[in-house]
Amino acid sequence: MFVLVVGGGKVGYYLAKELIESGHEVVVMEKDRARADQIADEIGSIVVAHDGCEGKYLGQAGCARANIVAAVTGDDEDNLVICQMAKHHFDVPRTIARVNNPKNEDLFRHLGVDEIISPTRMILGAIEQDIPVHELLHLAALGEGELEIIEAHLQSGSPAIGRAVGDISMPQGCSLFAVVRDGIATPLRPDMTLKVGDKVIAIGPSECEALLHEQLIGGDSEAVSAR
Amino acid sequence: MSEPHQIVFRRAVIALAGGPADARIVQLVSELGRPVKADIVAVHVVEIGWSLPLDADIAGRSEEAQQILDLAEATAEESKMRLEPILLQARDVGAALVDEATERSADLLVLGLPYRKRFGGDFAIGRTIPYVLKNAPCAVWVVRDPITEEAS
Repeated sequence: MFVLVVGGGKVGYYLAKELIESGHEVVVMEKDRARADQIADEIGSIVVAHDGCEGKYLGQAGCARANIVAAVTGDDEDNLVICQMAKHHFDVPRTIARVNNPKNEDLFRHLGVDEIISPTRMILGAIEQDIPVHELLHLAALGEGELEIIEAHLQSGSPAIGRAVGDISMPQGCSLFAVVRDGIATPLRPDMTLKVGDKVIAIGPSECEALLHEQLIGGDSEAVSAR
Repeated sequence: MSEPHQIVFRRAVIALAGGPADARIVQLVSELGRPVKADIVAVHVVEIGWSLPLDADIAGRSEEAQQILDLAEATAEESKMRLEPILLQARDVGAALVDEATERSADLLVLGLPYRKRFGGDFAIGRTIPYVLKNAPCAVWVVRDPITEEAS
């Protein structure tokens, strides 16, 4: 597989290194000449020392025959432009973007970036798993983001405690499918009664979040993403 | 007065770039290598841009590349030496030359350097020679073309 990595920072460097070790053909685009030389010294002649935001240089780097373009610079704006050009000008089958500001995620998704990686969200999600400030946790997005897998951590005071799963009225298009109790994941059955400490896994469109929160957590909706 | 030091190499790789320096370096290495019956490998590297796969059939179809190697062979024969012509395609000429010298356990790598100036007047050495000087495991000779009036 031919992977074009745009951005030769720490993420781009280690990504390229791992991909090469896995036997893939990789080229890294890095606009800073000194950094490009440094990467070439360490991994080999796989660096194109030009700005990946310019279509001409993307073409020179082989974008038209890339199977995947991974835009992992530190600038969301650059990553978006790179993925847009790769997708719409060079017909790259799969684009992956690093999104630094979580507020930009929807924009990236809306503009057709295939895969969005948000380190900020991931770290926030990891923190939330240990310290559940928010009771709804976004675990993953399915498809193009229209469906979400959400975890609800049931605390005392939750309206779902002591109720059978079948008695909980779920929003349209949303379903509860598993519970993690004492570290063991079990498929949810309608007769199963929910307890304090249960982590209920739900799937549904993101618009259902508020109703899901009302049914499982109670009170105002507030969620965080672990993606 | 001591005897002049004899230059000894057993296996030399010559980098052919297709310029006037090619004949000069082939002749030089042939003359110096003849007394010790040195093995000489002449390498011409066709650089393949990232827009094409590395195994694209480019070098094999290039008449120019073949002519460069033929000329080198003819020049070596004039000095009663034979050389092994090698045509490679690679992403980077410098890295390909270093790899070839390493694989063949060469003790000498020779490159020609045309005298050129950049816009602004600075002497231009390119990127292949610095790479080879930095990375080649063997001795490296760089043979620069004379300064012509036009180039200066």
